[in-house]
Amino acid sequence: MASHGISRGSGPVVRSEEARQKELQQIEAYKDLSDLVNTKVAERQYTFEVLGLVTKLLNENPEYYTVWNHRRRVLIALVAEQTQSPDELLQGDLQLTFVLLQSLLGPDAAQKLWSGELQLVNKMLHADSRNFHAWSYRRIVVSKIERLGSSTDSTDANSSLAQSEFDYTTKMIKTNLSNFSAWHNRSQLIPRILREHDADAKARRAFLASELELICEAINTDPFDQSIWFYHQYLMSTISPSCAPENLIVQDLTNGDRQKYYETEMEYIKEILEDETDCKWIYEGLLGLAEAYLEVDAGTAVVTTKDMRAWLAELKRLDALRRGRWEDLERKLQL
Amino acid sequence: MSLVSGPGRAGVGAMPAEMQLFVDKHVRYIQSLDTRKDELEYWLTEHLRLNGLYWGLTALHLLGHPDALPRNDILNFVCACLHDNGGFGAAPGHDAHMLYTVSAVQILATLDAFAEFEERVKDGRQKVVIADLQDPETGTFAGDEWGERDTRFLYGALNALSLMGLLDLVDIEKAVQHVHSCANFDGGYGTSPGAESHSGQVFTCVGALTIAGRLDLVDQEKLGAWLSERQLKNGGLNGRPEKKEDVCYSWWVMSSMAMLDKLHWIDGEKLTQFILQCQDPELGGLADRPGDMVDVFHTVFGIAGLSLLKYPGLEEVDPV
Repeated sequence: MASHGISRGSGPVVRSEEARQKELQQIEAYKDLSDLVNTKVAERQYTFEVLGLVTKLLNENPEYYTVWNHRRRVLIALVAEQTQSPDELLQGDLQLTFVLLQSLLGPDAAQKLWSGELQLVNKMLHADSRNFHAWSYRRIVVSKIERLGSSTDSTDANSSLAQSEFDYTTKMIKTNLSNFSAWHNRSQLIPRILREHDADAKARRAFLASELELICEAINTDPFDQSIWFYHQYLMSTISPSCAPENLIVQDLTNGDRQKYYETEMEYIKEILEDETDCKWIYEGLLGLAEAYLEVDAGTAVVTTKDMRAWLAELKRLDALRRGRWEDLERKLQL
Repeated sequence: MSLVSGPGRAGVGAMPAEMQLFVDKHVRYIQSLDTRKDELEYWLTEHLRLNGLYWGLTALHLLGHPDALPRNDILNFVCACLHDNGGFGAAPGHDAHMLYTVSAVQILATLDAFAEFEERVKDGRQKVVIADLQDPETGTFAGDEWGERDTRFLYGALNALSLMGLLDLVDIEKAVQHVHSCANFDGGYGTSPGAESHSGQVFTCVGALTIAGRLDLVDQEKLGAWLSERQLKNGGLNGRPEKKEDVCYSWWVMSSMAMLDKLHWIDGEKLTQFILQCQDPELGGLADRPGDMVDVFHTVFGIAGLSLLKYPGLEEVDPV
């Protein structure tokens, strides 16, 4: 594959004749194995012997997608023959095939398989906490487990894993505040949790307050980390009048409430400014809040054009890379 | 076309004070790729061969050397990858998949060879399998018969069908709604609804909406801002918040910004310098970042990024 992050100590590869001969032998062995597998599958020899050859080939080249497809073909045929129970067959082959075979298994076996998958995803995210494929797969696995535990076809509150998944994001964030994948997944879970808990108006306000407290602490810890600011933007987006009803955290917001939230956030961010004058995210955050504030109350004295001009000037000074964006913003806000 | 990395690595040897694009070196690098059959990695990367051919060919066109690879050999290879169902595999004998079918169509379009292709393949296999991969319920697309779904495949389908003038074979409105359902609060898009915003996926979703004429659905201010934050101090672009820079995002991020008319929201001069530092000035090719091994994937996306930045002497690339 394209070589990401493969570094070399010295210049181009120069192989000795001996090394070259050795590599030629490796190529020949690899091509022989590959030809053998392809021939046998083309002849529909869906046997345990071929399954073994497929395993060997995949160990040599796990990116060979056609051979993974061959593996599915062989396994489907073997399961259909039922010479061995699907459970046994799958022991060494979990992640690839049980999706295909779930219909053949009882609900308990399926539960066991998907729980095993969740553990696998845990391991993957432990090794690489930003891997977006692993996070996507986690969401799939969780929804499978939820559906298996539900009496109906869709997920109900009893079988929901939303709360434990939410707690998992808390754990991941505490390990590394900069893990936006965890912050993102958290934002996806919040509307579900509130719905499933039948949260009333008071509980919803308390929930928003605790999320704001968490993110403000994070901002204070590292105001230079953009993951944190994007989560702050997410929380602010749920306060906006244009937020879709299903994404609202607090459902009965008046414009007066909104102003209060914006004011509190601005105050807090201005406090950080006292220690940290050279962090562009602070000025960007303040300008974003000011813009949102003006949307719900244009005639206020809380946000002044003078302040906004000053913040924008700081952005231009600190963030020259994005000068074109700040110039466009200046025109848009008519500053 | 070899996907083998190297032989050179980026940013070694004497980089002249005045940075420049080593056009001839890159052309020779791409020409040399198919001569590396004595390296194991050439065979281990066979499952990317047709993509690699598309990347190499596109790079050569952008570099102003469209004829540097033998046209007839390319067409022979493309035809050899064709399956009975009308899809293409990565190489002869490899299963058909959307990702290679799109590369095949793109190569045929680049070489203006659709008529020649139909002439060569007269047995009815030149039908279109892409449309059958759309999920009639959700509007998204699968990559192949095994059913993995991803906004990459949706974009690939619309791209290839539009190149063939066959967009009316699929339900565009459903596809558009699916893309829209992948949008996040930050204006970006993920692989599926609920997935984290990722620059590669932003490119596929904004590209699909551009083909469908529905850029009105994009939150252009928010997405433009998010994309502009991909630029790091060293000038390079990353794919998501708090990740490392990589030359390939010079394409995924910049093409999206071009479609939104926001290229001026990052520092093009600094990005140009970063991309040029990722070249191997002696043996040609570009790497993901300075000091790493070069490969054809990063070579084409670095050059395509430079083309969007209007680097002198390069052909203009279509951001979609």
